[in-house]
Amino acid sequence: MGFIGKGLLEGMVVTARNFVGSYFDKDRLVTVQYPEERVQVPENSRTFPFLVYDDDKDPAGTMRCVACKICETDCPPQCIYIVMDRDEKGKPMQRPKVFDIDISVCMQCQICVEVCPFDAIKMDNDYEKSQYGRFDDLVEHLPDLLKSNEYYNKIKPTEATAVDAKLKADREKKAKKTAPAAAKPAAPAAPKPAAVPVPPKPAAVAVAPAAKLVIPEDAPFTPEQRQWLSGFLSAASVGTAPVAGVPATPAPAVAPAETPVAAAPAAEAATAAAPAGNWAWHDPGLGMQQRLDLAKDAPLADKLMAAMAQTDCHACGYDCRGYADAIGSGAETDLSLCLPGEAETANMLKKLMEEAGKG
Amino acid sequence: MIQPLTEIKPYTLTPGADGLIETQTLEVSIGPQHPSTHGVFRMDCVLDGETVVALKPVMGYLHRNHEQLAERMVWLGSMPYTDRLDYFNSMTNNWAYALAVEKLAGIKVPERAEYVRVIMSELTRLLNHTCVIGFMLQDLGAWGTPLLYAFREREKILDLFEAVSGSRMMCNYMRFGGVRVNPTDKDLAVAKDIVSRYPGFLDEFEKLLTSNEVLLARTQRVGILPKELAINGSISGPMARASGVEYDVRKVDKYGVYGRFDFRVPVGDVGDVYDRYYVRVLEMRESVKILQQALRDIPQGPHIAPEVKLRNFKIPPGDGYGRVEAPKGELGFYLVSDEGGKQPYRYHVRPPSFINLTTLEDMCLGHKVADVVIVLGSIDIVLGEVDR
Repeated sequence: MGFIGKGLLEGMVVTARNFVGSYFDKDRLVTVQYPEERVQVPENSRTFPFLVYDDDKDPAGTMRCVACKICETDCPPQCIYIVMDRDEKGKPMQRPKVFDIDISVCMQCQICVEVCPFDAIKMDNDYEKSQYGRFDDLVEHLPDLLKSNEYYNKIKPTEATAVDAKLKADREKKAKKTAPAAAKPAAPAAPKPAAVPVPPKPAAVAVAPAAKLVIPEDAPFTPEQRQWLSGFLSAASVGTAPVAGVPATPAPAVAPAETPVAAAPAAEAATAAAPAGNWAWHDPGLGMQQRLDLAKDAPLADKLMAAMAQTDCHACGYDCRGYADAIGSGAETDLSLCLPGEAETANMLKKLMEEAGKG
Repeated sequence: MIQPLTEIKPYTLTPGADGLIETQTLEVSIGPQHPSTHGVFRMDCVLDGETVVALKPVMGYLHRNHEQLAERMVWLGSMPYTDRLDYFNSMTNNWAYALAVEKLAGIKVPERAEYVRVIMSELTRLLNHTCVIGFMLQDLGAWGTPLLYAFREREKILDLFEAVSGSRMMCNYMRFGGVRVNPTDKDLAVAKDIVSRYPGFLDEFEKLLTSNEVLLARTQRVGILPKELAINGSISGPMARASGVEYDVRKVDKYGVYGRFDFRVPVGDVGDVYDRYYVRVLEMRESVKILQQALRDIPQGPHIAPEVKLRNFKIPPGDGYGRVEAPKGELGFYLVSDEGGKQPYRYHVRPPSFINLTTLEDMCLGHKVADVVIVLGSIDIVLGEVDR
């Protein structure tokens, strides 16, 4: 060190260099004049969640959300509120009637996105969300939350392309499984365009009760064919392909690769691969009673499965089949894990277990 | 009703030529809204003239029930809440929690994820130390200049965090068994660029500060923390090292892949505010070294252990303590899992800034009230972590 004040002077040289440099050097000139200039936000950037739909003509009908309530349960600050839509008969319609996110509570953690098995909820990167009101203005309702798949592709191209490819691959896998089975050429979901991963949900479902569709006694079918047909017809009667698919073999264990967003008629797929696992009731469009009727004479595990919501949403940690098998074998003792089935399923599972003497 | 720390009694100074001068001590409450307390923190100072004769730290203004909340939530649910402990260093907070859970559940982390964790944590250390020095200088009265230089550099790191994790400060990036997003080659190139420029910035920063006579006069021999007290008070982090305690969890535990990197632990000898400043500068230089090695050696591969379930994640009964060397000191999570194992039965955080804060009075006694502010600044507290 030389003289007293040398350090001070050196510091001032640094300040002067930064001051002058701020006029020429881009590294030292970092201020962005915000409302006029904007920084491009990175693709991964996240603010608040939104719900993806596929078709601009019918946002509410083509949203991917099936109201399985996984995000509602897993949201750490509990800012999501979902009510499942039901038709006039009280049958669940696999879509939310109410989907509210309180963005004053949301902490932008992205856990809802990570746990969603349907790729239905994604993170937005819109950071200009100021509102005048403190309370109601900060609660986003279903219409505010719905945004198109194109928008998602625009803000997060890489991620959205991967998601689209995944959904397409799932659909094709299902279609392939279905194809050899088609003695009857009834694969309604196969020719869907690539950008539409989920078939439209029953907007206004006019259901003929499944009982009416039972095949006449004198029809020339083997019992197996009969069972499959009744399942298929009841599925067809709700005017849509079922939302959930079925594993090719009735796998008792968890099958994580199985993404439940599928467009194949459930009963058909089951028949194709494993005639023993033709789950006529594996159709989220059916009501609880209809499903149980279909599984009336089946073993306990099948009845248990029929009591579930059939979305294969993995909220319980299994698909519907796996959860039923786990309960049946005693590996899983918690009967309240079926989130989309709500209390109805939990009560029915309890009843079935009691009837079977295992409760 | 707050009890006064000392009995207020008049006492006599050395009498002047013209008779007795009677004075009394004065109790001053600094905070909780005082800007130099770095948040909502209060210091009850008893002053004799300008000299501190007693000081009581009062905390709890920012208590958010973090631990109790975590015991009511699934394991993953508290991960985003750990971001909000020490909100400057969410990456190391995430890592400490993930490490504790991984220890408890016996999860093996893939190689690449370990490297990514090291890179993110060391970048966090860079930005934390840079900013702490800026804040400390701000407390000294160097209005703006060092702090804004620090923020300019911090911005580059935060931009990288946003590109990788999606958020600048509340990263929520680590997961049990790895990290959430695999950083792309472009992200790593940005990190390399930041790291290659950092020594240049540090040189400039040091030229501005290290031998500045005003800084020397204000910080040397101020707020000395003796080595014995540092050990007895279980002080950790740069504060302990400035007092001559050679203790760094990265060296002691070698968690993650820290055993593979060549770096040294800078240690001070006086334990005053200046040492705490300079230890941080040296630590940043060591961090740059670690980063260069990590960015050179990072392998390809999976970024998260595939067998770890995101939902319905259960841990067999037991307890575990995971600790990392956070920029502020040893950050540990003590977790107990009971039957069921869906959520922690007990969840305890060992926050470094809270424990480092306990020696505040010992460091401040006998100094002027203006020094209290610098001493507090040199401890490097974040109230989100102190109060939880």
